[in-house]
Amino acid sequence: MSSGNIWDKLQAIDRRVFYWILFIALMIPYLRPIGFPIEINAPAKGIYDELSTVQPGEVCVLSINSGVSAWGDCLPAMVACIRMLAQQDARILVWGMGHTDIDITWQEIMDRSPELKDKVYGEDYAFFGYLPTQETTIALLAEDIRAVFSLDRYSTPIDDLPIMEDVNGADDVRLLLSSDTGDVQGYYIRQWHTKHGTPIGSIGIAMNASGDLPFFLSGDLFGLSGGSRGGAELEQLAGVPGEAITTMDAISVSHLLVVFAIILANVGYFATRGKR
Amino acid sequence: MSEVYKRELVFLVAGLVAAVMIVTYFLDIPVLNGLAQQLQVWALIIQLMAIGLGAINLVRVNYRHMQQKTEGLWIFSAWFMVLFAIMLLLGLVGLSTGSENAIYSWVFANVYTSLSSTLYAITGFYIFSAAYRAFRARNIDAAILLIGGVFVILANAPVGAVIWKGFPIIGGWFNISGQVPAMRTFTITGALGLLAYGFRTLLGKESGFYGEAGQ
Repeated sequence: MSSGNIWDKLQAIDRRVFYWILFIALMIPYLRPIGFPIEINAPAKGIYDELSTVQPGEVCVLSINSGVSAWGDCLPAMVACIRMLAQQDARILVWGMGHTDIDITWQEIMDRSPELKDKVYGEDYAFFGYLPTQETTIALLAEDIRAVFSLDRYSTPIDDLPIMEDVNGADDVRLLLSSDTGDVQGYYIRQWHTKHGTPIGSIGIAMNASGDLPFFLSGDLFGLSGGSRGGAELEQLAGVPGEAITTMDAISVSHLLVVFAIILANVGYFATRGKR
Repeated sequence: MSEVYKRELVFLVAGLVAAVMIVTYFLDIPVLNGLAQQLQVWALIIQLMAIGLGAINLVRVNYRHMQQKTEGLWIFSAWFMVLFAIMLLLGLVGLSTGSENAIYSWVFANVYTSLSSTLYAITGFYIFSAAYRAFRARNIDAAILLIGGVFVILANAPVGAVIWKGFPIIGGWFNISGQVPAMRTFTITGALGLLAYGFRTLLGKESGFYGEAGQ
């Protein structure tokens, strides 16, 4: 291809050139933040609005069904939601399925949520750990949490946790947030929302957002945070700026570069079309 | 017990369990509710046992690769066995002392987390390169996909609205009016297919779930 004209060369740029361009371009906004304004969209606003109505003492569940590889997409939104719920003195229950690393994710959420430091474990929040199962178990959790968890993650009997007083199943839960890289949120919609009416909110990776959107529009999800953009919107709405807002500049740069690559390839393609 | 009876028994049990679960999903019958809950507990126990079986199977498969010196695989199998043994040992030490082993936690938090995040982040580079190589307007369909994709990309990135206020509006239109109906169609047809599968299972016409697929 080296003997071709500039249009031929435009179509055959080595992929390693793109890797380097992206690598260098992504560093710029981290070294010198640009601060593009972030517009709020209805799905993320839905989560904020529903969380704003939670009253002190009401029980909310965070189901962490995403692994550490999805931290970039899901962690900021989870942190923003937990911080909001803690500020409103909600009782928070945390468990997760599908990923064995949820201990690390929960630790990371706690580290980033100063509001939790004033809370008492077992009274204001509780962590039940990893549950290696599927929809059947989510259905069972909706009916009887104690049939699934007899102990918390630290081996404390569930009935010794004051937070679990009068909490038996989905009917006692004010709302559930499901952080997903897969389809666990669908199980909650079927087994918790449709059957018991528990409001479900979704914190998913960007790739899932298009699949989750119909459920938000139909009202099965009260809100939806898709990828780091959703996290940035929630951080802005909740007034807890964090990692997602910082990431938005890098998202802008990388997305612009993708558009630039598409234009570059197509300019070369159309310029040489007559020759083919 | 003959093969025919064994087959019929499997279908009978599957059919009865499915009937109980379907009825209790839609109707509130206290006697059946208790039974359904018990069945769900059994399912949970079976699923947990399956994880143990999965671990044993993983060791068996990798041990076989090592034993047979399978070309291109045995070295990875050996590496797996070493790491499996280390993590198992550290986990068991933690279990015996009643608290989590600090080294186990360190490995999980500092090795697994970094590797996992890196693998996911690398896809960004592939997407960038793939967008250049694959997104070409070779025909009208590809051109529509390309234009729609560009608008959605710029609607998702905050810089899109800075460049032109119309990007989020048009990108949002593609998202809501373009992809949502298609996604609804997939969801509804998938659900109908699942219903059909459920009925076939109930009627004993679906044998794949107990190992008869393709026979």
